[in-house]
Amino acid sequence: MLTAKNPIVRALTSLQLTIVCLASLMILVTAATLAQVGMGTVGAVNAYMRSWLVWWDIPGSQWMIPVFPGGATVGLVLMVNLVAAQAIRLQATWSKAGLWLVHLGLILFVGGEFVSGMFQVESQMAIENGQTVNFIEGRDPEIVVIDVTDPAWDEVYGIHGATMRRDGTVAIPGTPVTLKIHRFEQNAQLRNRTPFDPPSQATAGVGTAVTVTALPPVSADNDVDQSAAFVEPIAGGRSYGTWLLSQGLGASQSFTHEGRTYQLAMRHRRQYLPYAVTLKKFSHDKYAGTDIPKNFSSLVYLANPRTGEARDVLISMNQPMRYDGKAFYQASFGKGDTLSILQVVENPGWLIPYISCVLVAVGLIVHFTVSLRKSSRKREAARLAQSTQEA
Amino acid sequence: MKSKLGKYAAWIAGGLALVGALLMLRPPGQVRGMDVDGFARLPVLEGGRLKPLDSTARNALLVIRGQQTFRHEDRTVGSGEWILDVLFRPQVADLQPIFVIDNPDVLGIMKLERTKDRYYSFRQILPFVNEIQREANAAQAIDAKLRTPYQGAIANLFERLYLYHRLKNTIQLEQTPGLASEIAAAGSPGAAQRQATLADLAYFRPIPPLPGQRAEAWSNTGEALRGVAAGALNPGLEPMARIGAAYGVQDGPAFNRAVRDLQTVTFGTWPDAQTHVDHETTFNRAQPFYVGMAIYVLALLAVFASWAWKPEILRPAAFGLLCAGAIVQTAGLISRIVLQGRPPVTNLYSSAVFVGWGAVLLGIVLERMYRNGFGTAVASASGFASLLVAHHLSGDGDTMEMMRAVLDSNFWLATHVTTITIGYSGMFLAGFIAIAWTLRKQFAARMNPEVSKSLSGMVYGIIAFSLFFSFIGTVLGGIWADQSWGRFWGWDPKENGALLIVLWCAIILHARWGGYARERGIMTMAIFGNVITSLSWFGVNMLGVGLHSYGFMDKAFWALSGFVASQLVLMALAMAPRQFWKGKAARDAGEQAQASKA
Repeated sequence: MLTAKNPIVRALTSLQLTIVCLASLMILVTAATLAQVGMGTVGAVNAYMRSWLVWWDIPGSQWMIPVFPGGATVGLVLMVNLVAAQAIRLQATWSKAGLWLVHLGLILFVGGEFVSGMFQVESQMAIENGQTVNFIEGRDPEIVVIDVTDPAWDEVYGIHGATMRRDGTVAIPGTPVTLKIHRFEQNAQLRNRTPFDPPSQATAGVGTAVTVTALPPVSADNDVDQSAAFVEPIAGGRSYGTWLLSQGLGASQSFTHEGRTYQLAMRHRRQYLPYAVTLKKFSHDKYAGTDIPKNFSSLVYLANPRTGEARDVLISMNQPMRYDGKAFYQASFGKGDTLSILQVVENPGWLIPYISCVLVAVGLIVHFTVSLRKSSRKREAARLAQSTQEA
Repeated sequence: MKSKLGKYAAWIAGGLALVGALLMLRPPGQVRGMDVDGFARLPVLEGGRLKPLDSTARNALLVIRGQQTFRHEDRTVGSGEWILDVLFRPQVADLQPIFVIDNPDVLGIMKLERTKDRYYSFRQILPFVNEIQREANAAQAIDAKLRTPYQGAIANLFERLYLYHRLKNTIQLEQTPGLASEIAAAGSPGAAQRQATLADLAYFRPIPPLPGQRAEAWSNTGEALRGVAAGALNPGLEPMARIGAAYGVQDGPAFNRAVRDLQTVTFGTWPDAQTHVDHETTFNRAQPFYVGMAIYVLALLAVFASWAWKPEILRPAAFGLLCAGAIVQTAGLISRIVLQGRPPVTNLYSSAVFVGWGAVLLGIVLERMYRNGFGTAVASASGFASLLVAHHLSGDGDTMEMMRAVLDSNFWLATHVTTITIGYSGMFLAGFIAIAWTLRKQFAARMNPEVSKSLSGMVYGIIAFSLFFSFIGTVLGGIWADQSWGRFWGWDPKENGALLIVLWCAIILHARWGGYARERGIMTMAIFGNVITSLSWFGVNMLGVGLHSYGFMDKAFWALSGFVASQLVLMALAMAPRQFWKGKAARDAGEQAQASKA
């Protein structure tokens, strides 16, 4: 029976459990904050907050032992505790209305963070002055084969995710080309090959003069992996050599098969948009006589052929452009203030924190007002009792 | 009769303190017949904003020496006189002991003994400048967080020497005949080179824009001299040249005339600048936060004295002093808001001022509610402590620096930053009340349970208050982040710090509701709240990671560690049974217990 007498229910709804969970959360947050110095924000958050258990590497061995529940475990227990206590223990009376609102807001808040964690996609859009761009780029790499034969139209085929990471062959749909992937490095250093280096795996293209060294993936938020892959295009039973592909290579590499020219490249994974953004002007203001930045802003022209929309939008610090479920933020700039980099975030749950914040704030105000009135009434009663006694 | 006496005591003490504060505003006299104050009131553009030269001089001297005045040849030299010497009599300024050097290894480079007063003149350092530069360059290649104390000190000394060098070469190049001859020779061969050097080194821009130019188009003398070479004499240049010449030969009347002429030229075209610089000069002179700190100390001493002697007079007097301190601090805060055109908290320095202000106001409310002297004691202690912290944070120079683009949003500064800071105020006030409770419980005469109960009521109320503001502030910060970076919550250290405060408040409140923590437990937890708040306020800035690491400071590390240690000791004290500290009381209690058993 799910009543307050059942010991399991009592434990699950107990305030002690709430306090233990809150205290564990404090420990985790502190640890995650300190760990950022060495691991970067993403690494620390993944290790402490977005995990079920916190692991400890036993120094000098391959062993890892769990030492503490991770943020996900603590959060889950806290949620269960909160929901259970709410449902079973807290009476539905007006005097508890404030607490109901606060707890409802918190549940919504955590739910919203869960939605963000699961569905939030962050990518970037880099536009130079005057350029028009209709795609956004993520952090992950992709290998593309582009049919550039028609000067007016490029046909792009992309390979990404697990397919690219696995050695093997991938047929490029719609073309006679099959790509054989020999080696893939998530993060790698590229440098000019010296006579002392072993021969390159590449047999064609610029890769023959390059030495590739594998690196551990980056952890800092502002760094991006530079991936590398050795691929061998095969078409009509004929090999076109092994090529090195990487975002770090500037030169375009291509081969021709039966009169069609195919470009090979590795780039950050692109998502094409049904609309295009043109950078009309990027502004970078400084305070007079200093280098302290005063404002960054990008004046862009947004054109959506499907809806016929065409308008100017000014994106600046603290003022993103929200369009088509995505928000475009002024993130960075470069190339002597002619390149603007926009952070593009797609988060279906972006409104939830706003709602939950209002709920919690209202709930706290209601609750503290009710308690204050109760305590002042009590004091009043005590004073009355005293005066009647004296009388 | 008694209460009337108390009322008078409050008004008299508060009134006297305010009169003392107003005395700070009296104008300084002339120096050797020269209107140094008039010169210091001239506006200059530096650090991206218009300010009186007075502010630039004070901040520069504060950076170089750590103080805004110094004693030399048996008299006190103010920042205005000092900047005049630096600009126009560098040979005199070079002999003034303005460089504070503490690090023995740095002194070792210069083969100097560590002296009692720690201050050295540029002339003493000059022979070793090349060596200092070489060592400093090596140190600057190392990340600021990883430098040894010696590397930090040598890099810092070099920065201060360079600042001094720039100041000396702002109006005219050192060891040249002066600005007047530069104006005369503006088009001559070799002049362009000197103008370029001047424009490059100038630390501030004293020459006003011409009528019709943009209001922020102030120029340095190098740029203005280029204008002369191109055929346009800025009317501000010539009086500035006369000021320099007159100060060089210490000709008082000529100096005063030239200052007045430059004022006419500047303020005739830019009357708004006059209002602003007059206000800021007055603010600088009043030093409201320094005066406020002194008044809070007096209030604190009066409270302490009231526990031993004449409480009916001294307690209200202490309250009067506290209110006077709050008035002075409020005036200072409003002044800053007007001068900057921004909400009260814009950097670590102003957050310290604001945290103290919030705690003082809360304390005044508590004192009015409970009238037992505790509110006054705790409020004046926190007001004093926070202003002391602010004082130590101001050594980096201008405390009204311009806001970086990301932070340039008055709306979010007013909402998120202010709310979070009010949360800090509450946490500290609750913590200080808990400390007062602990000390009183352990060391003073036995506390009446009624008082003890009212104190724990105060702490509970304030923690509830802090939870509200910390939570709202944290979420508002998330919304700001969502607006500017597209991430509601980024696990940034400062965000985590705010979250820790919210969690700790929630734990305290739940522990109280569940009955797991009673009076003693709540008090101990409130003291730990001080630890958490101080760490999330300053500690996370020391990590040097994340978006909020704008205020990195290694000097404060030991101060912070000391504070945390002291709070842990106080927590232990709060937990310890009273008998533990009062040997005699314990024996008495023991005997009584024996007796009652028998």
